[in-house]
Amino acid sequence: MATFDADEAARLHRDLHSHLPSDPALRVKTLESLMVERGFASEATLDAWVEAYSDHIGPKRGARVIARAWTDPAFKARLLEDAAVAIKDFGFEGSATAHLKAVENTDTRHNMVVCTLCSCYPFALLGMSPAWYKSFEYRARAVREPRKVLAEFGVSLPDGVDIRVWDSTAELRYLVIPQRPDGTKGWDENRLAAIVTRNSMIGTDRDLDPGKA
Amino acid sequence: MDGIHDLGGKQGFGPIDVTHDGPPFSTEWEARMYAISQTTGGDDWTIDWFRHVIELLPPDIYLNEPYFQRWFMVYATGLVQSGVTTRAEILGGVAAAKETPPRDQTLAEVLEEVRQSDRSFARTATDSAVFQPRQKVRTLRHGHSDHTRLPGYARGATGEILTHHGAHALPDEGAKGREAAEHLYTVVFSAPELWGDEADPRDTVTLDLWESYLVAA
Repeated sequence: MATFDADEAARLHRDLHSHLPSDPALRVKTLESLMVERGFASEATLDAWVEAYSDHIGPKRGARVIARAWTDPAFKARLLEDAAVAIKDFGFEGSATAHLKAVENTDTRHNMVVCTLCSCYPFALLGMSPAWYKSFEYRARAVREPRKVLAEFGVSLPDGVDIRVWDSTAELRYLVIPQRPDGTKGWDENRLAAIVTRNSMIGTDRDLDPGKA
Repeated sequence: MDGIHDLGGKQGFGPIDVTHDGPPFSTEWEARMYAISQTTGGDDWTIDWFRHVIELLPPDIYLNEPYFQRWFMVYATGLVQSGVTTRAEILGGVAAAKETPPRDQTLAEVLEEVRQSDRSFARTATDSAVFQPRQKVRTLRHGHSDHTRLPGYARGATGEILTHHGAHALPDEGAKGREAAEHLYTVVFSAPELWGDEADPRDTVTLDLWESYLVAA
């Protein structure tokens, strides 16, 4: 049973941290052997989890959802209405997607997602978050100076575009629907999905490049 | 709590390293730590207690340990505190009593488990919503010393209700292992309201805030 005792947790943090080896890999290896010995999961099960998030669950999932939204207006309407349900068409629902919300970029609006308090992210749809998303720099600055942050990602916005930054403070998770670029008329879903970048679904990329397909 | 984790708007961190285009896990131990986190834990841990235990890291540790080492610390501290393991076991890596793990999960089983884990935090409301979309609201000026999801930068600020989401589990109670349903809203603030004249008046920031964080403006 957890004690939910904050003072005790803070004390244990200090105590354990001062006695742990400094090598992060060694710490985790020690925890892993212990958890296996305690019967939580086998090594093979842990391998399967690593494989799932290394090779199967990642931003390609989100890109397929975006490509469908670009080609199927009825799907796009459902995605904007309730993204958590719409992604079940693909079986992409799961960890942290029960309250997924899709927000759409337009000629006059750019959307950007951050979690200033931790690093909330729609894992089952976009996979592991990129290092920069979890960085102190991004978490601190995205809400305060989004235009400077975007400039560091190589994105500059025309004058008529406002920015809406979504700080994920509850269990809602956000998926940005980037604009479909010109020069992609008649493309099928697979070809379109290939040009959707992970960053464009978080909002640190904007103008997608049809040349990347 | 006014912890080091509450980073929104803090200055001095410098440029963002935007170059991450490598594999999903940048090191092997990150991958193992993530896998451990998905298969291990206390039966009664809540997402809010998990987040609170990270926030309770002393600031020097929080700032100096990599992201997944902060997760490691949650498991080390949390498992000892829950009586799942002991301090000696965490530091030594050898279990006093060995138990047999459940049979191996296949990749297909893991993917299916992920798919089925879209856990809802919506709860049945016990009262009607106080605020309606388009209504002006002000956030509380003060937080409290336990877990809460009203960031410091958005306190005492006036915004407008964008969306009402019905009732969701309140994190302030969840971090204590208790359940409470409370109405949740997305609230939109103008950037100058939060940051003053330096901010671009075209821009807005939204936060998802529970009813007890808000008063009518």
